[in-house]
Amino acid sequence: MAVDLATKSLLHDRLRFMITVIGVAFAVTLVFVQVGLFLGLMDNASLTIEQIDADLWVTSHNTPNVDFAHAFPETYVKRVRSVPGIARADNLIVWFMNVNLPNGAVEGTEVYALEDFGAWNFPHGVIEGDLSDLRRGPYMVLDDSAKKRWGGFTVNDYREVLGRRLKIIGRTIDAKSFTTTPLTFMDLRLAQSLNESDLRGNTTYILVKLAPGANADAVRAEIQRRLPYNDIYTKAEWAKRSRSYWIDSTGLGLNMYITVFLGCLVGIVVVAQTLYTSTMEHIREFGTVKAIGGGNRDIYAILGKQAAIAAVAGFALGALQAFALRPVMAKIDLKLIIPTELYVLVLIGAIVLCLSAAMISFRKVASIDPALVFRT
Amino acid sequence: MTILHTRNVQKSFTEGRESVTVLRGIDFSVERGEIVSLEGPSGSGKTTFLSILGCILTPTKGDVVIEGESVAEKNLAAIRKRSLGFVFQQFNLFPSLTALENVEYALNVKGMRGREARVEAQRVIDAVGLGDRQNFLPRDLSGGQKQRVAIARALAGKAPILLADEPTANLDSGVGTQVLEMFRTLAKQENRALVIVTHDPKVRSIADRVAKIQDGALV
Repeated sequence: MAVDLATKSLLHDRLRFMITVIGVAFAVTLVFVQVGLFLGLMDNASLTIEQIDADLWVTSHNTPNVDFAHAFPETYVKRVRSVPGIARADNLIVWFMNVNLPNGAVEGTEVYALEDFGAWNFPHGVIEGDLSDLRRGPYMVLDDSAKKRWGGFTVNDYREVLGRRLKIIGRTIDAKSFTTTPLTFMDLRLAQSLNESDLRGNTTYILVKLAPGANADAVRAEIQRRLPYNDIYTKAEWAKRSRSYWIDSTGLGLNMYITVFLGCLVGIVVVAQTLYTSTMEHIREFGTVKAIGGGNRDIYAILGKQAAIAAVAGFALGALQAFALRPVMAKIDLKLIIPTELYVLVLIGAIVLCLSAAMISFRKVASIDPALVFRT
Repeated sequence: MTILHTRNVQKSFTEGRESVTVLRGIDFSVERGEIVSLEGPSGSGKTTFLSILGCILTPTKGDVVIEGESVAEKNLAAIRKRSLGFVFQQFNLFPSLTALENVEYALNVKGMRGREARVEAQRVIDAVGLGDRQNFLPRDLSGGQKQRVAIARALAGKAPILLADEPTANLDSGVGTQVLEMFRTLAKQENRALVIVTHDPKVRSIADRVAKIQDGALV
C-alpha cells in the first residue's frame, strides 16, 4: 500500500471537491434525463407494436408510423391468409376519432380495433373488464391515461364516440402512443361502423403470425407479390420506422443530442476548470514531487486518479438524482427509461470526460520546473 | 571518500536578448559524512548551484559527478530519487498528508512501498523527535516541527547526500539552533554528506567546512 496523495489531496479541499462532483453530477443527470425521456417517448412510439404478438405487419404504402394509418380494403387479409407459412392473419384498425365528453368538450382518441384481441395478446395492461366482451355490443375499453384529458370515468359509464354512445366495459394502463392521445380499444366492426366513410370495408393494417418453422423472408416475399401496393415490415422494422418518424420529423433526436452535448460540455468545463485551478494551487507540491525524485507520470497518476474519483462520485450523485426523478416524471405522465447499458455507458463517458478535462492540467504539470521548490 | 564533485560548472540564463552568467566555473567536492555550509550574499548564485548539485538544473558547461555517476539530462530524476534528499526553506510539505505520511510518500516516490516504507518513515519520524506528532497535519505543527518533518523526509530512504536550502530562515533563533543540532547529529550518525545553503551564521557552528560563493564563483 502506498500513501494515497491523490485522494487525500482531493478530499482536503472539500468545497472544491463538492463543486467538481456537482459539475459532473449535473452533466450526468442531464444526460440521464434527456436520454431517459427520449427512450421513454420512443418506447411510447412503438409500444403497441412491441405488445402486439405479430411477426409481420402489412401497411398501406408509405405509412410513416403506426399512428398515422391509411385505409385499404379489408379483403386483402384473405390473400394474406392463403399464403403458406402463415398461422394467423387479422385486420387491425388504428384510427383517430372524436369523443364528446359529458361536459360538452370534444377530445380525440386513438382507436385500436381488432376482432380478437386475445389472439394477439394485446393490450398488456388490462386492469378491469374482459376484452373478449367487446364483440358483444357497442362497447369500448379505455386506457386510464384518458382520465387526465377526459376527466374521471368508471366502468359502465358511457362516452359518445363520433356521435354514438358506447359503454365503457374495461380499463387498461400504460397503453400509450407518442401522440399522447388516449387509446381506446373496440371491436373492428364497431370501428368500421363509426366512420363508414373511411373505414367501411377497409382496414389499416394486417397483422401476420407466422407458422412455426416458416421462412419469414419467403412469406414476406409472397405477401408482397400478392399485395404489390402495400408495404410489409417485420415487427422490428415497423417499430424502428415508427420511432424514426418521430425522431426525424420533430427534431427530437437532434434536440437530445444537442442537450447531451451541452450537458457534457458544462461538465467537462467545470471539471477542467476546478482541476486546473487545483493544479495551479498545488503547483509547489507537484514541484516537490519532482524534486524528491518523482516524474511527470507520478503527477499524471495523481491528477488522473482525482479526475476518476470526481467522475465516479459525480456519476453516483447524478444517477441517484435521475433515479429519484423517475416517480416525479411518472406523475406528469413522462416515462424516464434508463436501461443498465445506459448506466454503464454514462459511467464510462463520465470517466473519459473527466480524464479529458485533466489533460489541460497534464500539460501544465509537464512544464513544471522543479527549481520552483527553492523559491520563496 | 568524495561522494559529490563538480568540475568547472558554469550556468547562464537568457533574459530577453541578454545572457546572464550566474555561475562562473565552480570546482567543488563533498566527502561522505562531511557537512558543508555554502554561504554568500543574495544573488551570488548559491541556490542555482544547489539546484545543480540537486540535479534539478543542469549546468551550461562543466560536469557534476554524484556517487561516481556523471549527471546528464536523462538521469536527473533517477539520481534525485536514489542519491539525494532535500530540505527546503518553505518546508514544502504536502498539506493533506500527516507528518508520517509526508515521509512515507517520499519513500513511495523512491520506490519503497508498504510495510517497509511505513517502518522506515516511523524510524526517521522518531529520530527527529516527532513520534507523538506523527499523525498531525502540517497546519497543526509549528514551524520547527514542520522543518523536522522535512528533515525526516530528506533522511528517509538513506540518500547519501542531503541538500538544504536556508533551513533555518523561517524559524526563530532558538528553534533554528535545535533543528541544526539535530540535523548535524542525524547526518553524522548515518554518515551522510550535508550541504547547507544559508545566510545564517549559526550554521557555521555545525559545519565541518564553509564554502563561500561570490558573483558566481567560489572564493
